Amino acid sequence: MALEAQGDVFPATRYSVISAARSGDPTERSQAIDAITTFYWKPVYKYVRLRWSLDAEDARDFTQDFFLHLIEKDFLESYDPSKGRLRTFLRTCIDRLFLNQSRDAHRLKRGGVPARQAIDFDEAERELSQMVQQPSSSPASPEDYFEKEWVRTLFALAVEQLRLHCESAGKLVHFELFAGYDLYLYDHQPKPSYASLAAKFNLSVTDVTNYLAFARREFRRCVLQKLREMTGSEEEFRREAQSLLGVQPK
Amino acid sequence: MMNKILLGVILGAILGIFDGLTAWFTPEVRSQLMGIVIGSTFKGIIAGVLIGIFARKVQSLALGIIFGLGIGLLLAFAIAQMQHGHYFAIMLPGGMVGLIVGYATQKYGASPTQQRSY
Amino acid sequence: MRWLSDHVLSQLQASVQLPDLAGTRYRAVRFLARGGMGTVWLAEDAVLGRAVALKILELDTASGELAARLSREAMVLAHLEHPGIVPIHDAGTLPDGKPFYCMKYVQGQSLDQSLPPTLPERLRLLQRIAEPLAFAHSRGIVHRDLKPGNIMVGAFGEVLIMDWGLAKITKITEDALHKPDTSLSIVAEHRPWPSPTPSDEVPPTAHGRILGTPGYMSPEQARGDSGLIDERTDVYALGAILRFMMTVKLPKKEASRAFNLRPLNAISEKAMTADPVQRYSSVQELSADVGRYLQGDPIVAYQEGVIERALRLYARHRTAVVLVLAYLIMRALFILFSRQ
Repeated sequence: MALEAQGDVFPATRYSVISAARSGDPTERSQAIDAITTFYWKPVYKYVRLRWSLDAEDARDFTQDFFLHLIEKDFLESYDPSKGRLRTFLRTCIDRLFLNQSRDAHRLKRGGVPARQAIDFDEAERELSQMVQQPSSSPASPEDYFEKEWVRTLFALAVEQLRLHCESAGKLVHFELFAGYDLYLYDHQPKPSYASLAAKFNLSVTDVTNYLAFARREFRRCVLQKLREMTGSEEEFRREAQSLLGVQPK
Repeated sequence: MMNKILLGVILGAILGIFDGLTAWFTPEVRSQLMGIVIGSTFKGIIAGVLIGIFARKVQSLALGIIFGLGIGLLLAFAIAQMQHGHYFAIMLPGGMVGLIVGYATQKYGASPTQQRSY
Repeated sequence: MRWLSDHVLSQLQASVQLPDLAGTRYRAVRFLARGGMGTVWLAEDAVLGRAVALKILELDTASGELAARLSREAMVLAHLEHPGIVPIHDAGTLPDGKPFYCMKYVQGQSLDQSLPPTLPERLRLLQRIAEPLAFAHSRGIVHRDLKPGNIMVGAFGEVLIMDWGLAKITKITEDALHKPDTSLSIVAEHRPWPSPTPSDEVPPTAHGRILGTPGYMSPEQARGDSGLIDERTDVYALGAILRFMMTVKLPKKEASRAFNLRPLNAISEKAMTADPVQRYSSVQELSADVGRYLQGDPIVAYQEGVIERALRLYARHRTAVVLVLAYLIMRALFILFSRQ
């Protein structure tokens, strides 16, 4: 993804997309919107499909519409980090836009989503159907679903960032071990043991332990970095970090 | 805690004395009261020794009670035989005394291991 | 972007929460608990092949003071070898700089989660809690945070007192905690970890700082009067635990039994007196009084009246009393009938 290839997305003085999106520098603003879009398009699409029962095509149109409104109407200008989380704010904007459009019967096909990478709505649709097929794993409400998709996107982006980082550092085997064990790509098979991974990659079990530890450490750093970008304030970041990466009693 | 045999002897003697003294309420035998008391005390001591020995050997409340009851009834029967009658009046209290001594030696008597000092 | 299933997502969330144990002999298994000083994890000791518990300080929230407290807790545990005190196996610093110590993984439930069903069993449990406490006091260490949540009860009724993080060292004993040749030898294989500074050798509980848990905290603790804290502080907490044991619902069958709770109330009141001088002077004294209660003997904390004494003796020797009464009644009846 273009953003990740650049390394750190924002200058050190800009710790989040909010700051960047309000920047006077058009490049920085563009990058910020890009980042928000990349992060949120899938949660938005799935949310409106569930919350407002839109069909796939209408949901696609609305999603594109939303992000265009985000740019044109400067939604983010009215966001105050002290009043709530960024994603809660965006979800409220989604609901408001939908209600306004429904009231005005004014929903036009506005064109593509402003992001540099391709947006695969079909992929989102497939993921949605998988959720519907497993009702036991479905969240209680569309709002919860939005939250969960937000977390899913955060982790998925962090995985990609980790992969790029390991590739550039010549530690691809670290990523592959991580993918094999923690990403648990063998979804319906027994989880591999450290010993089997060691045999597969021609390593010692100690190396597997250490490489996994490295990958997890880096993955955690990637998650925190993505989280910092997508939170509106330092306080929100700390809260979310504690909630996501702190400990949840089982 | 007291030695089981000693406890049995003391309790048997006390209850035997008491048992004997109740003969005072029977005017016909009042004149023989001393003999009755001595005999009853002796019976109580014998019962106490036997029950105490049993309690040392067998650590069981239930069995101790049953043995005490049995010894009390047996000795009381022997007395009743000598009296040529009054079986019920003699054996029932005798059995109860044995039962009480049997219970007390099991519950309150010191077992041989408890008595050892180091 | 790779799509992550719910299953993978929860796996990842679990894995980013796992502590970094690279380079140590431990492998993290799962989260156990979070406390004031950090988190506790179930781990596997790869060398000995046994389950252990790791207490790790979260540096994100840790001040130097917390690190020193963890260090002190580990030292205290290392010097309290008793079957009723959770043993410590190891201590050090993780690769990410977080101090930790390794202790026995205790399988069981805390006292607030599983109380025995009968009152006598609860009281005997209280006596078992007093034993390791008495041992710690004999070594000059006061727990200061004794409560049901910090007492683990194993499957066989064994007791383990946990969480000595707030322990106060009231005196430096002969094998003092901070002799240079003994204090850090156990952590030689790890990176140096926060060793207590000289000012920490007698715990730096500054006057005015309140440490403990409401409900189990003695008045002197609540006031932050650290100078008054000694073993009687733990006596207070033990009295509160006794009260907890008495007040938490007993099963119906037990509740219907005629326990005289006044002596037990007196014991807990004496233990929880505001003036430490008026309390039991040691946990052994409290335990002894509980023992007397269980035996049916008179207790120190309570002056019983004549009737209460008689009732107590009757309760203790009920069967004997009934038998003797039965004998006397029978004798009286015989006398009555023989007269007729």
